[in-house]
Amino acid sequence: MLQLEGIRAGYGDTEVLHGINLVAKERVTTAIIGASGSGKSTLLKVIMGFLHPTAGKLIIDGQDVAQVSEQEFAKHRQKMGLVFQESALFDSLTVAENVGFFPYYREKKPWGKVLPMVREMLEMLDLPGIENKYPSELSGGMRRRVALGRTLIYKPKILLYDEPTTGLDPTMIGHVDEIIREMNEKFQVTSVLVSHDLESVLDVAEHVFLVQDGIAQDVGEPWHLLTSKDAQVARFTKSWREHVEMYRKLMQSKGFDANGTPKGEAQ
Amino acid sequence: MGYVLGVFDFLGAVVVYVARTLAYLFTGRLNLRLTTRQMEFLGVNTIPLAVLVLSFVGATICYLLAEELGKRGAAGYTGGFLLVAMLREFIPVLTGVVMAGKAGAAITSEIGSMKISSQIDALRALSTDPHWFLTAPRVVALLIMLPVVGAFAGVAGFYAGYAMVHSKIGLSYASFSSQVSTFATAGDFYTCLIKCLIFGAVIAAVGCYMGYRVKGGAAGVGREVTNSVVVSIVMIFGLDLVLLPLNHWLKEIL
Repeated sequence: MLQLEGIRAGYGDTEVLHGINLVAKERVTTAIIGASGSGKSTLLKVIMGFLHPTAGKLIIDGQDVAQVSEQEFAKHRQKMGLVFQESALFDSLTVAENVGFFPYYREKKPWGKVLPMVREMLEMLDLPGIENKYPSELSGGMRRRVALGRTLIYKPKILLYDEPTTGLDPTMIGHVDEIIREMNEKFQVTSVLVSHDLESVLDVAEHVFLVQDGIAQDVGEPWHLLTSKDAQVARFTKSWREHVEMYRKLMQSKGFDANGTPKGEAQ
Repeated sequence: MGYVLGVFDFLGAVVVYVARTLAYLFTGRLNLRLTTRQMEFLGVNTIPLAVLVLSFVGATICYLLAEELGKRGAAGYTGGFLLVAMLREFIPVLTGVVMAGKAGAAITSEIGSMKISSQIDALRALSTDPHWFLTAPRVVALLIMLPVVGAFAGVAGFYAGYAMVHSKIGLSYASFSSQVSTFATAGDFYTCLIKCLIFGAVIAAVGCYMGYRVKGGAAGVGREVTNSVVVSIVMIFGLDLVLLPLNHWLKEIL
């Protein structure tokens, strides 16, 4: 379980997080949503130990690690995996070396044992036969999936996704969402999804927090995003709700239901 | 005050990078695969450029020496003079300058680009020390490759010098090299080697430091690459001055 209690953090004299309280329950996908500049990325940096909080508790697996040394934090970091927004693949390494990075460089497994694991992972991510390519030869969607593979290969207990669907086409968004769901079911991980993509959040998350002005608000289950009367939630989801309503009205006016099925044929 | 602190921060970081690298090296934790890759990328690829530069320098020096020594009937000393100058100064300093311009810049631009594209954070997220993965292989690679590149460049410079003297005054190779053993000593070879090792480590450490310092996108990378080359070159000439007594000490010891 991942728990944040009264976390305060920032850069220099500027405080960005003003006492964040958040719980990501075990084996549950928790989404953190919020506008640009609300502090989502800073929050992720604190969770990963890239930024030390000035106050509060960061509890990973029952242990407060907010003020531990970098070396001590590195041990806890092995329980976590972060999928970066822009993939952050190592340009000088091949896809196979990227995906097999942790077992080969960190766990010192021989390459002969790592390669079958890499192939299996790439197969699972629907990326067979690209082991010897370099990241620069891949499309954005492929890079995103390779980055996912690089993290999933060491089976972290807590998986953090930083905007995993940003910049992807609708087909690829569906595929990434499917992978996230599959990973949760297969490896029973605790997932934390930082995203702007509310459809994706509705699709994969089980619990939602809204971060606004450095404070986290517990929204509850994702469907509350559609119905919440809370002013902050309503303000953040206003334009999205309007789009959903517009889509519903358009389908209705053309004689279809929300799934695109003509009304008479619906079972 | 801030500037002085910055200088101390920089010098401290360079010492720490080299010390950590040596710790990785002597505790057997250095990754050989990454190191050999860097040796090829940063070292082998620099040989042609260093050979070209030292050839020009060797030829130029010999042109001047042949003219002056020839007038005094001492043209036979040209090879000896050239070799001593090469070993004590030109090989370590000029190979260092070439390395700073090519390898040092490459190190800073690669690490800087990795920083702005979150690859350094990705290393930390994978519980990997960036200094183990990036700094140590590069420092060791230049530590080994600067003397190697210097050896190739030095040989090229010596023969380019001979070619110049031969074409200018028709001096034979036997005459050109006749006084070499009189002038050059083992101390000169060790001076050259020690300077090359120090300069190699400094160039790589400066390159890494500047790379980790990159901020603000592509413009930041460009700025730090320039800083890396300039600072490395200044440090090479500064250290060359500090190391002047080295040759004297080595001659006393050997």
